[in-house]
Amino acid sequence: MSIDNFMKNSVTGWMSSHGEHSDIVMSTRIRLARNLRGRRFPIAFSPEEAKDVDQLITEALLNSEENGYSYMKVSALPLLERQVLVEKHLISPQLTDPERHGAVLLSEDETLSIMVNEEDHIRIQCIYPGFQLDGAYEKADRVDDYLEKKLPYAFDEQFGYLTSCPSNTGTGMRASVMMHLPTLTMTKQINRIIPAISRLGFVVRGSYGEGSEALGNIYQVSNQTTLGKTEKEILSELKNITLRLIAHERRSRELLMSKSRLALENRLFRSLGTIAYARLLPSEEAARCLSDVRLGIDMDIIQDIDMTILNELMVFMQPGFLQQYAGTELTAEERDIFRAKLFRERLEVGDKRLKEEETGE
Amino acid sequence: MLCEICNERPASVIFTQETMQGSTERHMCERCAFQSKMFHFDPNQEPLSIQQFLSNWLGGSEPFQSQQQAKEPLAEGPECPECGLTFRKFLDIGKFGCSTCYDTFRERLPRLFGKLHNGHSTHAGKIPVSFNELFAVKKRIEEIRLKMQEAIEEERFEEAASLRDEANELKRLLTDGGGGANVN
Repeated sequence: MSIDNFMKNSVTGWMSSHGEHSDIVMSTRIRLARNLRGRRFPIAFSPEEAKDVDQLITEALLNSEENGYSYMKVSALPLLERQVLVEKHLISPQLTDPERHGAVLLSEDETLSIMVNEEDHIRIQCIYPGFQLDGAYEKADRVDDYLEKKLPYAFDEQFGYLTSCPSNTGTGMRASVMMHLPTLTMTKQINRIIPAISRLGFVVRGSYGEGSEALGNIYQVSNQTTLGKTEKEILSELKNITLRLIAHERRSRELLMSKSRLALENRLFRSLGTIAYARLLPSEEAARCLSDVRLGIDMDIIQDIDMTILNELMVFMQPGFLQQYAGTELTAEERDIFRAKLFRERLEVGDKRLKEEETGE
Repeated sequence: MLCEICNERPASVIFTQETMQGSTERHMCERCAFQSKMFHFDPNQEPLSIQQFLSNWLGGSEPFQSQQQAKEPLAEGPECPECGLTFRKFLDIGKFGCSTCYDTFRERLPRLFGKLHNGHSTHAGKIPVSFNELFAVKKRIEEIRLKMQEAIEEERFEEAASLRDEANELKRLLTDGGGGANVN
């Protein structure tokens, strides 16, 4: 398969580099957890109840004016495809467990996914590129309204939407922004910021799992509190925190530029060299170099590379995608070789296209 | 160093076990550690898992239990009639089994939610339209019941019968809507 074709077929809505503050905020996600009244939650229900719930939700959505959804039963998908859905952030790792009888309904542009029988009966998720909290919420809210008209929700006057995990009770809403914060990480300021944010009822974690330093300097900031605040309040608080983080990050970038421009340029160009020419590219190194190159583009130090390509590579560097691109299962070392190959080809394709545009071919 | 259980794979997990005799260090590979009952490990767990939080906070934790067990077993608490979850089990797994659990444990929940949600324990966000409609139907049934009572007392039986039919019709509407309505 040619790399261009592979990319075209695999790119999903939120990977483009559009949206407000898209240099620092990579994507925005809203998730609403809902359950049907009078039915046990997935943790406690039988396979028959699971099938029933799946059928109810799917029928409500597929026979609707909200059309354009495609339905996938998770257990019917090959393992690799499940992994790719996880790496695209369209389903959670938990949903891939065949015991759950999970399914997913995906909108055509993949910005909207509705998980069935995850931890809750329904999880509506909307992912947008860049910083678009209100837009993403409105879209998820509209689907919620629609489903609610067709299906009886488990709701309680005192506790709000009833969810399987007490950490979601109330609004059932988790709003999160994925942020690239390289200079706050370099200057170690992030270590002071994270505890301060957690005192406000929000949580910061690395997008590739826990650990003091986030892989690729990408952090996810999300609300921890779902009870006692309205959706609007949660969104506006998260918006404020995000804007403050953006301002902090921008200030640190300026400071680094004025104090140690040469050292910074040296580091960023070396990383560009690595991803453009390496023959073996382990994932940590790939993530670190991508972060550097992204910073270089944002700061106008590195030109001629399209940011969308970097967003794609961030996703495609993961094991599931690499194996899908290769068309076969790969060992860890084979993946490092393939990752290097994919990066080289992708950057070269981008380079060629830019040159063609310049010469008007 | 090799895993002390399988003696095959390298020991990558080291943890300290506290016993009456003092503490001992155990070395295991990831696979054996995962299967071991001594060590609970879930790769998908959040940094501060809700289970850890609940079990450490409300006394559902195993170390706490072993100290208590000699004297009296820790109370199971109320049991949910719908899914059979006890309050103690809820603290252990950190999840509700169904929406009826919320009713079963209602009295104990505000304190727990307060800890989890920055001091809040009452919902302030979106209310589903259907919930408001449901609430209205319930209220309407209540009104009809009162009228029916009056009619019976004043021996207007024909009117009482038609009121009863009206109430039954509304009740059917409620159960068609999914049953087990949460409006009290």
